[in-house]
Amino acid sequence: MALSATVSQKKHVKRKAPRGFLRRLFKRQKPHLRLETRGDVLVHLNCLLFIHRLAEEARINACESKCGIIKKDHVVAAAKVILKKSRA
Amino acid sequence: MANNFSPDSEPTARTLLRRVLDTADSCTPQRRRSDRISAQRTLLETPSSRRRSIQTKVTARQRSHGARSTGRLAHGQAGGQLEEQTPRTLLKNILLTAPESSIVMPQSVVKPAPAPQVVQPSRRKSSQSSLELQLPELEPPPTLAPVLLGSGRRKQKLRLSVFQKEVEWGPQGLPVSQEPPGNPDASSLTSSLNLTFATPLQPHSVRKPGLARRPPTRRAIDVGALLQDLQNNSLASTPLVDNLRAPVATLPTDIVLEDTQPFSQPLVGHSPNVHYSLPHPYPGPEDAEGTVHHRTQGSIPELQNHKLQPEPADPLEMTEAEGSKRAMEAKNPEESSGDEDISDRPGKRPSVRRSQRTVEPKIPEESSGDEDISDRPGKRSSVKRSQRTRRPEEPKRSSKDEDISDRLGKRPSVERSRRAVEPEEPERSSEDEDISDRPASSELASNVPEFLQAKQLDQFLEPAPSSGATVLSSEPQEPVLARTHPRPRTAVPRPRQDPHKGGLNHYTKLFSFYAKMPMERKALEMVEKCLDKYLQHLCNDLEVFAAHAGRKTVKPEDLELLMRRQGLVTDQVSLHVLVERHLPLEYRQLIIPCAFSGNSVFPAQ
Repeated sequence: MALSATVSQKKHVKRKAPRGFLRRLFKRQKPHLRLETRGDVLVHLNCLLFIHRLAEEARINACESKCGIIKKDHVVAAAKVILKKSRA
Repeated sequence: MANNFSPDSEPTARTLLRRVLDTADSCTPQRRRSDRISAQRTLLETPSSRRRSIQTKVTARQRSHGARSTGRLAHGQAGGQLEEQTPRTLLKNILLTAPESSIVMPQSVVKPAPAPQVVQPSRRKSSQSSLELQLPELEPPPTLAPVLLGSGRRKQKLRLSVFQKEVEWGPQGLPVSQEPPGNPDASSLTSSLNLTFATPLQPHSVRKPGLARRPPTRRAIDVGALLQDLQNNSLASTPLVDNLRAPVATLPTDIVLEDTQPFSQPLVGHSPNVHYSLPHPYPGPEDAEGTVHHRTQGSIPELQNHKLQPEPADPLEMTEAEGSKRAMEAKNPEESSGDEDISDRPGKRPSVRRSQRTVEPKIPEESSGDEDISDRPGKRSSVKRSQRTRRPEEPKRSSKDEDISDRLGKRPSVERSRRAVEPEEPERSSEDEDISDRPASSELASNVPEFLQAKQLDQFLEPAPSSGATVLSSEPQEPVLARTHPRPRTAVPRPRQDPHKGGLNHYTKLFSFYAKMPMERKALEMVEKCLDKYLQHLCNDLEVFAAHAGRKTVKPEDLELLMRRQGLVTDQVSLHVLVERHLPLEYRQLIIPCAFSGNSVFPAQ
């Protein structure tokens, strides 16, 4: 399968939350804890916000380096900042 | 070449002759090469354009020679005439003789003036490509020429093998293609003549090295034999010609070939055989089986002879003991292998031959295992063997064969029908009638006496229905099983995506949506990694918060606290605002309490 090096921007995105995935993930990480009923939606919101931040940061990085494409370096740099910021 | 040029300054007959001789000696090898190459080219490249270019090239050379000679010397003209005449006569006679053709070459080599070349060929240029015009110029330096020619030669040799096959396949096509190029110019006609003559002559010399000897000759025979077979078939079964031909006309050609060939092959040799073999059964009509054996014995040698007809050596093998056949095997082992490949094709004769040869060694084993063999060559061989070794058993065998044929389908049965010469023939034909009435009926009528037919029909029609019933019973069962089982099977092993990966993939998509820019695939992988890490941290934090509150359940408050600490939720931007901004309505309804009818609030707070 020939994978193109670049991925074009998504025009449409499912807004549905992968609730099952989030629940499973939490259960796998913390099997002794229980996620309350609507907790997964909030986790999804949290992830969404994180991704949003990360994407914006990466985009800023790409624009600073005058690059039309977000590269791995940009994402790494952005992740460094955002992961630190989103530490609780 | 410098030596040649110096004498040119002195326009005497002696010098001219000397020069010619010198040049001839020096250049003969080169010329030969060029000749061969030109001939090969003509051989190789049927397209008229290529040939034309070569011809034009040659003519251009000649013209240049003529122009040069006229321009320089009166003697030069004489020499040019001589040279022109000699090549024509020689070429008309034979192109192969190299020294004579070489005479033409020296001039092209000697020619010092590029200008006349360019001017005169320019007329041709329209039809030619510039490259080919340049070639004669390149040739003059003898040192360069051999290298170029040598390299060209190799390539052409490689192509030759391919081309030879084509030539041998379709020998008619060549002359047609060759002729047109000669027409356009009278001057080029001579050259074209040479070329055309060369083509037929060259192949012999080339053929002997043995580039592609075995397949072409045999195949050519096959094609011819096929047609002959068909014709003979029709001839042999003269009374039933109508029956035969009607199906031929109606049916698609492929099917006809497949069906008829097996019959036709035996018939080819057969047509005479039938006459011989038929008389045998008549004398002994008392015992059906006895007659059968009788007939088979009588017919066997004839059959063999027929099958051997294609090759002159074969009859000897056939008539004599098997040892001689083995010797034949030793002689051409390649052929047997090649024949196997060919066996699939319509012309079955080679395969038949092979079977004759190869069968011999197998004989001891095959006597036991003939019935099991479903292979075509094997069957043929088995047939032969049966003729020799198993004559008494034949009736039984034939019945078994019928069963097999039913199982295997039409093809094998048809091929078995090739043995038609034997007593099995009628049986097979009867079978064929069941399967397909057309050829079988003709065969029956032509080959087998009527009383035999009747008896054998009685014998073999009985097993046939049973076998057919078995086929019917077996076939439906299998499909049912196949249909029922495979579906669940296919459903079960469906490759499952890693759920973790899938969930992360969802967020990477979101990332590419939020980024609003094209991005590298590696960057997406990086995002996945980051997200994985982030989720880990998030779970750890939630655990800490829940533990701090003395709970084992993570509540929305913990998440709100988390978001507050992350700076997502501030005094200005509450959690509900974020939810309203980022989540669709269905999730918002789950999170943000709202009053519903009946004085109820959902979700309850």
